[in-house]
Amino acid sequence: MEQLVQTEVWKAQTLQELIQILHRLFSGDKVSVEEVQALMESYESNPVEWMKYAQFDQYRYTRNLVDKGNGKFNLMILCWGEGHGSSIHDHTDSHCFMKILQGNLKETLFEWPGKKGTGAMTKKSERVLEENQCAYINDSIGLHRVENTSHTESAVSLHLYSPPFDSCNTFDQRTGHKHNVKMTFYSQFGERTPGATVVSQENN
Amino acid sequence: MEPQEAAGAAGGGGGGAGLLELELPRRGAGEAGAAVAVAAELEARRSGETRRLVLSRRLSGPLPAGLARWFPALEVLDVSGTGLAALGAELLELPRLRTLLAKNNRLGGPGALPKGLGQAPLARSLRVLNLSGNRFAELPAALLGLRGLQSLSLGGNRLHSIPPEIQALSSLEFLYLGGNFITSIPPELANLPSLSYLVLSDNKIQSIPPQLAQLHSLRSLSLHNNLLTYLPREILNLVHLEELSLRGNPLVVRFVRDLTYNPPSLLELAGRTMKTRNIPYAPSDLPGNLVRYLSLASNCPNPKCGGVYFDSCVRQIKFVDFCGKYRLPLMHYLCSPECSSPCSSASQSSTSQSESDSEDEAIVAAHRMQKVLLG
Repeated sequence: MEQLVQTEVWKAQTLQELIQILHRLFSGDKVSVEEVQALMESYESNPVEWMKYAQFDQYRYTRNLVDKGNGKFNLMILCWGEGHGSSIHDHTDSHCFMKILQGNLKETLFEWPGKKGTGAMTKKSERVLEENQCAYINDSIGLHRVENTSHTESAVSLHLYSPPFDSCNTFDQRTGHKHNVKMTFYSQFGERTPGATVVSQENN
Repeated sequence: MEPQEAAGAAGGGGGGAGLLELELPRRGAGEAGAAVAVAAELEARRSGETRRLVLSRRLSGPLPAGLARWFPALEVLDVSGTGLAALGAELLELPRLRTLLAKNNRLGGPGALPKGLGQAPLARSLRVLNLSGNRFAELPAALLGLRGLQSLSLGGNRLHSIPPEIQALSSLEFLYLGGNFITSIPPELANLPSLSYLVLSDNKIQSIPPQLAQLHSLRSLSLHNNLLTYLPREILNLVHLEELSLRGNPLVVRFVRDLTYNPPSLLELAGRTMKTRNIPYAPSDLPGNLVRYLSLASNCPNPKCGGVYFDSCVRQIKFVDFCGKYRLPLMHYLCSPECSSPCSSASQSSTSQSESDSEDEAIVAAHRMQKVLLG
């Protein structure tokens, strides 16, 4: 008879607790995607706990580093003003978890473009993620674009990337043409990173 | 946009001197919140020191008339999501109001904004106005008197157009008009000298007027989800542009061959000659309609040409890399098929591709013209 392995179900009561449990989960060699996703979903967003990381820019979305995960992962908060969106991008062979802390984000999945990179990219699906939901993607699943489609509300999301990466490819939807971009942090651990307002390379 | 505040902060601060912020949160889904009860509660908490007032309670009537008397130091008023159908005279006496947030209400009918806004202290003090998520079918004229306004949002309303009078908002830096039904952009929008952030996404815009390239301060232009097939060549002049969103537009991908080139009329040829040879004329020398016609000459953008055209021109699409984008279709107007457009001035463009395109285009256009003449 097979032994059924019980996947641990963690509940994070606060953001600090979430970070602590994440450190524990990532301390070993193997991490279960389902466990991390369930943990991220279990945390009920409490703005008072993450307010200091939620630094908005009026022109585009921002990436605000929360925790470096002992080198195993990066945890960051993204702030999306009304209408702000990302390019279509890949995840440089890493796992990407995205949890909504406030507002809504639309995620559109795309197929990888063909070898020649010509022709419009194929949309696979789209969905609107609501508060506290957590999505997961990696390069084998596909590419995605994330946008705050609201004209009245801003949005905040919590992202975990493992292993950490600081560059990725962005894709032009009309042609499949790709372009490597370096990603920067608008703030780190709640402190605005000076001189980090680099000209955006991620236009879409 | 204004800095994000924590949602769900505890409502109703304690009393006492130095109180800066006062919040009356929503009281449960069912309660309508009689206007009288809200007025009574606000009056009870009146203070000459309160700077911010956030009302989240659903209001069944207008804001209380005593607002300015009770909170004379008010700088920030947030009445978003209260269901207000009109903002009235109670605003006109607030001497120091800098930020007015009235998102997600029922504003938009006649009289949604008070008359006399342009003469009130608000006209000089107000910097930020957010009317997103309301029902405005046109930009309320009352707004145009807000000379000090730096940030205006009318996102998610029902606007069908932008009035040229918008140029009166001479201090405007941030203009959010996404999520409306706007079909065209008035060139007068380009007369806002400080505009740095312009959002026109999720509308029905078919073309961008070339004058928009005069917005020298523009850092971010949001045009996604519209009906654009190309952009004006002049957009390359926006040297400070760092963000440009164009997704969800039917931008042409391949070179669009020009439709027939109509040879110029005699009127056009005569007009061109007058302009290029600088033949002097006074308004008394010519009938009024010809004087007007001559004033409409457009310069051929080819720097080697120096010619002009009136109605008869060649349209060409050239693909240029710009602002982090790959091969944007830019529309060029030239005075004749023999003219070729100057190379793009965009810093990141791969001009070799564009140049070889342009030679092919010139050859094709010339052949077409021969066909027209011979055919």
